[in-house]
Amino acid sequence: MGSTITEKILARAGGLDSVVPAQNAPFRPDYMIAYDYPGYTDVMFRQMKEDFGIERVKDPERYVLFIDHMTTRANERELQMHNVTRDWGRLNGVEVHEGVGIGHQVAAELGYAAPGNFLVHFDGHVSGLGAFGALGWGVRKDLLEAWVTGAVYLDVPASTRFHLEGSFSEGVDNRDLLHHIIATYGADACAHQVMEYAGPGAEAMSIDRRQGLCAMAMFTGAVSAIFNPDELSLEYSRRVARDEFEPVYSDPDATYTATHDVDLSALSPQVVLPGSAKSGNTRPIEDLVGTRLQHAYIGSCASGRIEEIRAAAEILQGKKVAEGVRFNVVPTSKKIYDQAEAEGLLDILTEAGAQVAQASCDFCVGYASPLEPGDNAISTGVLNISGRMGSTDASIYMGSAYTVAASALTGVITDPREVMS
Amino acid sequence: MKVQDVFEGRVAWKFGDDFDIDLVIGVTNIKYYDPDKLRSVLMQAYDPAFVDDVRPGDVIVGGRNFGYGHPHYPAMIAMRNAGVVAVVAESYAPGFWRGELYQGMPLVTVPGISEAVERWDDVAVDWKNATVRVGRTGQVLQGTPPSPHAIDVIEAGGGLNLLRAQYGTGSSTVPPAAAAVPHPTSERVT
Repeated sequence: MGSTITEKILARAGGLDSVVPAQNAPFRPDYMIAYDYPGYTDVMFRQMKEDFGIERVKDPERYVLFIDHMTTRANERELQMHNVTRDWGRLNGVEVHEGVGIGHQVAAELGYAAPGNFLVHFDGHVSGLGAFGALGWGVRKDLLEAWVTGAVYLDVPASTRFHLEGSFSEGVDNRDLLHHIIATYGADACAHQVMEYAGPGAEAMSIDRRQGLCAMAMFTGAVSAIFNPDELSLEYSRRVARDEFEPVYSDPDATYTATHDVDLSALSPQVVLPGSAKSGNTRPIEDLVGTRLQHAYIGSCASGRIEEIRAAAEILQGKKVAEGVRFNVVPTSKKIYDQAEAEGLLDILTEAGAQVAQASCDFCVGYASPLEPGDNAISTGVLNISGRMGSTDASIYMGSAYTVAASALTGVITDPREVMS
Repeated sequence: MKVQDVFEGRVAWKFGDDFDIDLVIGVTNIKYYDPDKLRSVLMQAYDPAFVDDVRPGDVIVGGRNFGYGHPHYPAMIAMRNAGVVAVVAESYAPGFWRGELYQGMPLVTVPGISEAVERWDDVAVDWKNATVRVGRTGQVLQGTPPSPHAIDVIEAGGGLNLLRAQYGTGSSTVPPAAAAVPHPTSERVT
């Protein structure tokens, strides 16, 4: 019986010949990633020293720290938190990446996410690294176990395979696919499993879109998502990988809990109603066209990549953001920001009235540019529960970058295909 | 303190499928850890008398995918402060499951529990064997027992306590479990 790519990565990380779903064992991540956040890293730094007597970690190259939250406002408490992170990194010889963007993206750009690698974080959106044939798993506070022991106990997940055919129509992208999957198969369709994307539609999909798709895996109940490596991801990885890597691939006779076929060309724009990303809340855009908005946002670890900035620029070129709409465009990393600037995309967006900001997580969590009571927002962020982006009396709709840009243009939820033709 | 093997309590509340646990204290309160503050907001949107009626030893029951979303810790801290000792649900969202297991909360997976119980039913929950006996009907439901590692975590009172017992400074001679992985691990360097 063959193995999935996930089983092979975990077998290697567990020092085992093979693993089977539900097997519980300790697994050694190649990289153990965190961003500094109150109640997480500051507590972990203290626990490492006080509870476990670890003054310096033995293999610092496996620890990775990002400063990507609370970068847009400076107050004493935040400054202090970032200083604690910088000091811990310096003392331990652990790299702290600051001012370069959202960690889940930067981890790819800096070559941590090479094919076959196993990476953990406390934040589940690390699953986005599955775009490269790596397994990224958000283990929450068990990250401390990994930091202290070098390994973390996990239940080996089964996998559900999504066989993708065709390619996206104009104005449709990975966000529409993700929301279609949740709506069609349910908010726990892949509970405790890994979503494996395969087929010609997966192979034809750009790296940007693979990353955004994998980053949202948790909303089907999945622990992660992954693409098998192919020439596209291997070429990227050869350029950036920090270490030599050895890709692994699912065997043709690997076992899956289920296989679902999705024709990408049949998809249309989807919008998630305020309240939750769960299945019952997703609607075809036709049902919501005309809903008035005060706020639009492109960014987050699940969006804000160059293709999405290009999509927004294409829609807004020579036009103006609707009066009364605040449109924040936040490229996901400095690299993406610089590329968008070099391509002239930021000028187009700024001319149109968008507010472009340096990469940060702060817009997705309402720390920067928070929503006011009564605001309606449309967002490419990762979550739309009330209060996520500011006031709990604001409503957050979610859609693709195409949908957000088209809606920013008109001031109401708008089918991007209407303004692109 | 050793965790009891069997909890004899009542079903203090029954939640539906895909339930976002943040809602039991309201999203505006997810950054609070103060017990009095959390007690004052717990379940206010569902039953304002909940905190007066719930008793130590009670359990809560969930549907499928209990804990969906980005589950924050204060909601279950508030439940625990109110006396709730275990959760029995049809299934759990993985983020919630891992986060609350780390906190040491017995999470019992029992398909069919939503249909089998009503609020305030007396129940006996054997969390280690994943069985629930419903006093009103006499029905015994069998669920999926936790892994040996999950049992260790719950019996230790949470992930941090287990780690402290195994690796803590000046602590026991328990062999480091993760050392089973044949790679170098972090070591104390003082």
